[in-house]
Amino acid sequence: MSTPTPANGMDRRSFLRTSAVLTTGLAALAASLKPLMEMNDFPTAERFMQKYYKEMTPADMDKVLKRITNEVEKQYGLRPHVRDYKPMDGVQYVYCLNLTRCIGCRKCVHACVAENNQSRNPEIQYIRVLKMEDGSLDIEKAEHDYDPEQVPEKGFFYMPVQCQQCKNPPCVKVCPVHATWQETDGITVVDYDWCIGCRYCEAACPYWARRFNWTKPEIPKERLNPEMSYLGNRPRRQGVMEKCHFCIQRTRQGKYPACLEVCPAGARKFGNILDPNSEVSYILNHKRVFIQLKEEMGTSPRFFYYFDV
Amino acid sequence: MIQAIKNYFTFLQRCGRLVFIGDWRYFTWTGTLAVFCLLGLNAYCKQFAHGLITTGMSDQVSWGVYIANFTFLVGVAAAAVMMVIPVYIYDNEELHDLVIFGELLAVAAIIMCLLFVTVDLGRPDRFWHLIPGLGQFNFPASMLSWDVIVLNGYLLLNVHICGYLIYCRYQKKLPAKWFYYPFVFIAIVWAISIHTVTAFLYVGLGGRPFWNSSIVGPRFLASAFSAGPALIILAIQVVRRVTATVPSGDAKQRFAGAANPKTVASRPATLDDLELLARFLPEFDSVSKDVRREILPGLAVLDVPAGDTFLRQGETDPHAFFVLKGQVVVEREESGRYRITRSARPGEQFGEVSALAGTPRMATAIAEEATQVLRVPSDALRKMMKSPRMNKIVHARMAERLMITDRALMILRNIVQVSMLINVFLLVNEVFKEFYSGNLHSISAKYLFVGLHGHHALVPWIWSAILLNLTAMVLLILPVSRSLKWLNLTCVLCIVGIWIEKGMGLVIPGFIPTPLGQMVEYSPSLNETLICLGIWAFGLLCYTLFLRMAVPILQGRLSKANEGQPEDEVLPVLAANSSAQN
Repeated sequence: MSTPTPANGMDRRSFLRTSAVLTTGLAALAASLKPLMEMNDFPTAERFMQKYYKEMTPADMDKVLKRITNEVEKQYGLRPHVRDYKPMDGVQYVYCLNLTRCIGCRKCVHACVAENNQSRNPEIQYIRVLKMEDGSLDIEKAEHDYDPEQVPEKGFFYMPVQCQQCKNPPCVKVCPVHATWQETDGITVVDYDWCIGCRYCEAACPYWARRFNWTKPEIPKERLNPEMSYLGNRPRRQGVMEKCHFCIQRTRQGKYPACLEVCPAGARKFGNILDPNSEVSYILNHKRVFIQLKEEMGTSPRFFYYFDV
Repeated sequence: MIQAIKNYFTFLQRCGRLVFIGDWRYFTWTGTLAVFCLLGLNAYCKQFAHGLITTGMSDQVSWGVYIANFTFLVGVAAAAVMMVIPVYIYDNEELHDLVIFGELLAVAAIIMCLLFVTVDLGRPDRFWHLIPGLGQFNFPASMLSWDVIVLNGYLLLNVHICGYLIYCRYQKKLPAKWFYYPFVFIAIVWAISIHTVTAFLYVGLGGRPFWNSSIVGPRFLASAFSAGPALIILAIQVVRRVTATVPSGDAKQRFAGAANPKTVASRPATLDDLELLARFLPEFDSVSKDVRREILPGLAVLDVPAGDTFLRQGETDPHAFFVLKGQVVVEREESGRYRITRSARPGEQFGEVSALAGTPRMATAIAEEATQVLRVPSDALRKMMKSPRMNKIVHARMAERLMITDRALMILRNIVQVSMLINVFLLVNEVFKEFYSGNLHSISAKYLFVGLHGHHALVPWIWSAILLNLTAMVLLILPVSRSLKWLNLTCVLCIVGIWIEKGMGLVIPGFIPTPLGQMVEYSPSLNETLICLGIWAFGLLCYTLFLRMAVPILQGRLSKANEGQPEDEVLPVLAANSSAQN
């Protein structure tokens, strides 16, 4: 089996043997690479070289937005309206959620999926509603998969959990490539084109608020929301992280998040904490007790739970 | 400069050719590994095309066996330092010959680590975002960015140290201390750091109480320093076995001459003979004319036909030898097999250790071709070594050998023993803390050790790990593990026990239940398992090839002196085996 050394030259037999081994090896290599043929989403040179969000000039961003528009149109047959909405001056968003009012109907969960172009197969949901026994706030005892005929059920209350938009976000700290960061209006965003998919942020989040695209997201064409933003609800690719961004494409235009608008119980309140006349300022100033989930973590959430007392 | 680069390329080329030389056992082994590598590559291509959905991971358990293996292997890589510390800090002779094996294992382990991290990435095409300067490197905030630095740094350090020492050995040149000693000491600190940083990867996450415990770092080090040396104990015995020439019973057959020695032609040495030696050994020039004349009467020149024995392992006789012509092979009987520990060519010595120390011969020296040697009595050798240059070269060449003694294995056993005791002690600490206080944060530990809400996938794993570790610990304390058979069993128990404890026992339960209290279990998919096997096969293949190249150089078989000679002739025994197979 030893390969002949050049010093002796090759005789016919060892030449044949070497070529047989080489051919078999190459054929085996080619066969093992075959699954790559099933791929239809090879990154183009342009996407491969795309700059980091914070390093893009407005001209760069225009080009990228145009490219995204074309890509979405090609894939979904619908020309979207993709913008890069910037945070507004003097605005810091805060979310307040009234646990007395929430009835656990999960309408917010589905409105969020529709608004934010989340993958439907497998379905990615940013909001998880926990069914909790009256009298306890221990989320380790929460029920996730409740499915009764009718909500609310007696003896229980419901606690929707989504990204808490922490002031000290552990997910941002651990990202090795700065692919996720906190904007000046308090929203923690992800640059889907920069994330390397290591999922360290998912391990770091104490609220289980981050979701990974384990495969190529699937959205039915007719369900696509064409109003998109770069850091918000534009369609994601396989292998990147995503999360609730307070519907950046709506809230930065002065609208409410989708989960709030759909809530039939009026349990959700959203607004600018820097504005003393906002609803959220009123709640935080007048409610005696409000809960920041896992307060002892020191994450300082911008998401407050309260009860009507 | 250009000549130096050319020389280096010749060296690389010759090393490269060694890879294709071997007997049927070698090709079966490497061929099997290559098949597993290709299966792994195939599985990875599937994962690359369809995403990580091909694994058993989910948003709930978002890291799995990839990261578990990564964590284990960082420990193995770090543990190579346990070989280096006794050698460089305490000048331990027994382990000296084995340091290179430890460091090559570290290199192979780091290669596997890097592959395991890469296959875990959702977007491996964006790896360049991690390159400092080119991408966006979140240093020092992200522990993962620390890991990128320490792992790659450790790889470079070890590649440099091994590469340099082996290249020096190839050239039969003394390594310049300033060019590797500082790196050795950096590597010692670095080894501790790679495993500490990997532990901090978990410890730093406040949202995961199971990991968020300061004992994880020390536990990682303790378990690594028992699993790593255990792996080295097994690896060097394999090396010892496969580099052995023949079972000792057959030695007579191989060296027909050795059985009935011919009369050795011996004559008194002349000054011309010393002149001849000086031509091959420039350091001998520093021995003055007066000294030469003084020692001359005791010296003799022997002409020995191929296959004859100069000296035998176990004998006592006070002579050292310098080769003037031909080639001598020095073989040592270890565990019932003969193995080449060094090869001497003109200008090189053998038999000097016993001559200087008066101890029995450690090995048997046989003339491989018609050989002429200068026989030097010990007092004459001492006089020659009064010259500092001679002293230095003789001492340096003493170290140029490859001995894998049972004593070296016992030193490693001591390391495994102490580390395993500490490891079990720390585990007890952890278990006590989790269960005695009974607070809510111990819920992952409950899931791991006794199961929770009807979920107990990890319970059998962790208890078998504990059982394996405890058995290993008991065996290590008992004198029975001084026998190699029991020691090997103990090492296997250690490795498997710690692999489970660190992988299934640490990475996975950190995710169960989720921070929102959901119970979702994890088990690796077939595709994921194939990728893991592929990476392990690739790592083992790398290690095999590294050893294939390093061993003949360490034995002095392949050196600059025999450049131009085909590599398979340099390894006569192995070549003979393989041609017998054909």
